[in-house]
Amino acid sequence: MIELKDNALYFSFPDVHSKAKLSISFKKTLRIPDDGKDYPLPPGLGDFPLEHVDDYAPILPEKWQERGGVMLPMYQSEAMWINFHSSHLYDHGAKYPFAVKIAAGKINAVTGESWSNGLSRNPQDYMVVPDQPWLDGYCVEKGTIRQFVAMPLGEGYSPEEQINKSAETGGLQIEVYPMKRKAFEKRWPVKPFTQAVFISQGEILYCSSPDMALGLGGRMRQEIYEDEFEMSEWDLNTCSRCFVHLTDSKSWQAVTGKNPPSLPLTARDYSDHGLPWFEYYSDSKPLPGAKILGKLKSITEMGKSKSIDPLPENDSADPDKIITIHRKSTPDQVREWRGRG
Amino acid sequence: MYQVVHNIGMDNIFGSYLREKREALKKKNRKFSLRQVAIRIGIEPSYLSKIERGWPAPLSEEKIKALAEDLGENPDLLLALSGKVSSEIQAIIRKRPQLFTELIRQLGEMPDHAILRLVREVRDGDW
Repeated sequence: MIELKDNALYFSFPDVHSKAKLSISFKKTLRIPDDGKDYPLPPGLGDFPLEHVDDYAPILPEKWQERGGVMLPMYQSEAMWINFHSSHLYDHGAKYPFAVKIAAGKINAVTGESWSNGLSRNPQDYMVVPDQPWLDGYCVEKGTIRQFVAMPLGEGYSPEEQINKSAETGGLQIEVYPMKRKAFEKRWPVKPFTQAVFISQGEILYCSSPDMALGLGGRMRQEIYEDEFEMSEWDLNTCSRCFVHLTDSKSWQAVTGKNPPSLPLTARDYSDHGLPWFEYYSDSKPLPGAKILGKLKSITEMGKSKSIDPLPENDSADPDKIITIHRKSTPDQVREWRGRG
Repeated sequence: MYQVVHNIGMDNIFGSYLREKREALKKKNRKFSLRQVAIRIGIEPSYLSKIERGWPAPLSEEKIKALAEDLGENPDLLLALSGKVSSEIQAIIRKRPQLFTELIRQLGEMPDHAILRLVREVRDGDW
């Protein structure tokens, strides 16, 4: 079951466990420069607004209605990251684990393979939450991702268009599986109350198509972790999935009548003001990254071959204030900068 | 006749609820005296006194909402206790009257926990 509340998707599995809950939100962020350097993690600058597609069905493309789900607005060349938060069960002293599969344009962000329902281990095509607190882009090699950056669907930038030579889908696709209740309770038996751990571990108004796709932006240091559980511990019979449509900001305004959030500041300006960047530290083993994604052209490289400059304000930045967030950090340590964005 | 009796009953509940909440607040802060509350929401203190004593004195939706805000109470609850339905809720019902009146009738006997489980799900389609 998926609900939309306060600009986040809430996945719950009451048939598995009344407290098996996962929220997923989409964070506005700086676009890191695509200049060959590996950058640390940029901050969260607030949530993208989300709306039910059904609420605007008559003025949206027919395909959007068929797919259902939700939609959010992005400017061309705007970046995002995806935030995962699973519920902490204090009586077990652990967060409930979920297997989360993410694709953009039905190309898996971890493996580069085309979308398929279910979980696969060879290669691993999903992430494990809470081990994985967020995802910023396509996993192009071990420990490195290329940032999710919005470009109009149909201009050839996204992995979907580069690999499949088609611009059919766009958007983001999410599938979530909870851990089996028995497996969870076996790994984390109920603790007596006094011993419970109380710190967190860690009219059609648009002329062109409103679809945005996620192209490959600059390089960032981020590991996607190997699943440390057994495949048999995942409840493969219980899953929830959602299509997140990405609409360009002008169409968003026309369709919903609501103003999209303003564009974030540039990475260079952010750094020059001495504002913090982030690194995440975990002992978990990282996945090798997808060769097929590593071979794709980034938006800047693609622009060069077309003799255009698709990413304005791509000046290099020098992040010198870096905050390390550990896997076992306290919950108040968040990857956010709550200033102007 | 039934209607009159019923109304007096509602006014009593509304009035005594208001008095109880206001008096509780007054114990901590004198600004919740009958006089000061009445002045803040723009009615005569004697009128508020009548309402609290269960007189069938009419109070507009706007004043009830102001009273709710002043006392930190839920405006929908105060409106319901005074026998009113907020104009916002009325507008929702008027938009799809048959659907909502039928729904409310069906929900009438359901236990609270079952009603709280009624949520809007994000629809998954074909992709």
